[in-house]
Amino acid sequence: MSTIELVGISKSFGKTTVVKNLDLSIADGEFIVLVGPSGCGKTTTLRMIAGLERPTEGDIRIDGNSVVSLPPQKRDLAMVFQNYALYSHYSVAKNLAYPLKARGVSKAEITEKVQATAEMLGLGEVLKRRPGQLSGGQRQRVALGRAIIREPLAFLMDEPLSNLDAALRVDMRKEIIQLADRLSSTVVYVTHDQVEAMTMADRVVVMFDGLIQQLGTPAEVFERPANRFVAGFIGTPRMNFLDVTVGQGKELSVEGSSVGIGGSLPMSVGDPVVLGIRPEAVTVDPDGPLEVSVTLTENLGSETLAYGLIGTQEFLLLAPTRAAPQAGQTVRVACDSADMHVFEPGALGERLTVDA
Amino acid sequence: MNDYHNPVASLVKVVVILLILAVLLLPFLWILVNSFRPTMDIVGGPEIIPSSVTLANYTGLLDSTPYWLWVRNSSIVALITIVFTVPISVLASYGLNRCRFPGRNQLGIAVLAVYAFPTALLVIPMFSLFNRFGLLDTYVGLALVNTLLAVPFAVWMLQAFMRSVPSEIEEASAMDGHGRLRTLFRIVVPQVLPGIFSVAVFAMVVAWTEYLFSSVLMVSDSNRVLAVGMADLIGQYRVDWGRLMAGAVMTAAPVVLLFSITARWFLRGVSAGALD
Repeated sequence: MSTIELVGISKSFGKTTVVKNLDLSIADGEFIVLVGPSGCGKTTTLRMIAGLERPTEGDIRIDGNSVVSLPPQKRDLAMVFQNYALYSHYSVAKNLAYPLKARGVSKAEITEKVQATAEMLGLGEVLKRRPGQLSGGQRQRVALGRAIIREPLAFLMDEPLSNLDAALRVDMRKEIIQLADRLSSTVVYVTHDQVEAMTMADRVVVMFDGLIQQLGTPAEVFERPANRFVAGFIGTPRMNFLDVTVGQGKELSVEGSSVGIGGSLPMSVGDPVVLGIRPEAVTVDPDGPLEVSVTLTENLGSETLAYGLIGTQEFLLLAPTRAAPQAGQTVRVACDSADMHVFEPGALGERLTVDA
Repeated sequence: MNDYHNPVASLVKVVVILLILAVLLLPFLWILVNSFRPTMDIVGGPEIIPSSVTLANYTGLLDSTPYWLWVRNSSIVALITIVFTVPISVLASYGLNRCRFPGRNQLGIAVLAVYAFPTALLVIPMFSLFNRFGLLDTYVGLALVNTLLAVPFAVWMLQAFMRSVPSEIEEASAMDGHGRLRTLFRIVVPQVLPGIFSVAVFAMVVAWTEYLFSSVLMVSDSNRVLAVGMADLIGQYRVDWGRLMAGAVMTAAPVVLLFSITARWFLRGVSAGALD
């Protein structure tokens, strides 16, 4: 298992620059997840690591050696594709054996490895079948098996779970993590699903518009998002953003009310900023500083989502169903200042540090 | 609930299909029926049920003409044509589809434009050229010409199949460590087998029925092919219709037989499961 380094990587297709001057160091054995909306450049980045796309600029190094001019065959990386890309005219056994054939491994050894890998993934019964006769989950395991059997320097996974139904996705997520653990593998995993990113990654790379917005552990990107984009992308339900102005002292002026944020900002009174509060971070409190007029509620079972307005701005709160407000009610809510995030205005507004 | 089954519409569909089939198959039926009638009767006029049936046309054909020799020659030329046409078409259509180079699209169309050229004009230069290279009156020489006639359409036909092969499985093959040619032969070709079969069949039909170059380039009697041999049955002053009909049936028969036996081999098992 290996280290992977991306140094100043850019990729343009004609006039469109899809990846912009990316620097990333992936440690040996790390499970790193590239997450972001469609078109952010995460898949292109993965494909450049694989060798399926050539960077317009920059270098890619594996274990310190530059591989940017090597074709995919020579990089010793294994890739699991979103739609599995299995060889439909080969049986499962032959699909698994195929990568070993390129290395001139002996027939006996191939048979042994195919058997071992199949058993590890629960494919022992279907070795003679063809992909067309397998379920989605089984096909996905064959794709994984084909990658594992080679014992490559690292695994690259391009949204491998997105074609599975929800229940299967949860199961396979666990399996992939366990597998990665067992093999102590370096894994570069691409997904648009932030839940996958949060549950699977050692570190998360949040990408948008070809740039890394934040690089950190799941806890870091959740608790201290670097900018408004990351704050809004990570976490379900999505964080609330309120356009507010800087108030006196350690306060913000929110639709006429003053809200204490536990510290001061390096800005002048009246400057516009954005206040971010997660729906689950507020509690219904008659002495709370914010007034929400609830318009709609969704009962999720043990919790209820309440959609409302603070002034004219939308606000969502998540509360235990027992204590949740009703539609049509106006409630006051409070939030711990530690759970308040302040950003500069704009879609990519930087996080502002609150001086306690 | 709605019942979509409309018996009248189904009946109309069946009748129309039968009518179309009748129109398409009538010439073949005509030839088949007449091949069992004596020539005198054929000249006399059409009959739906023949008044007299005979095998004389067939036996006469086999006795008085070197039919089997012609079949042998045609078979050899057809085989060589297939052997030349298939690899060239596969490589060309793959290259046109997957490799990016300037003028690629234009080349793809230019390949077909070859057919706009009147082949009759090529006969004399071909004769001269082949003579110079000692290819005159040879199986390989004629097969080369047939290949020339078959490849452009074969390439065009295969391109559609090539396009339907998802590029991901070629990428997967590359990630698995295999080079481009290996990927082509082990992964792409099996995925386009129906297309390759079609190309082989097409090449065979071209070779089997080609008349113009076959008559000019195969000079000696011993190398004569079936299409040319059959044309001999059209005499200058009279046509032995019965024998000609029998000849037509016996020319078509091997191809039809080949079709029905081999089609299933190639088309079996190439299908879904590669992608989700």
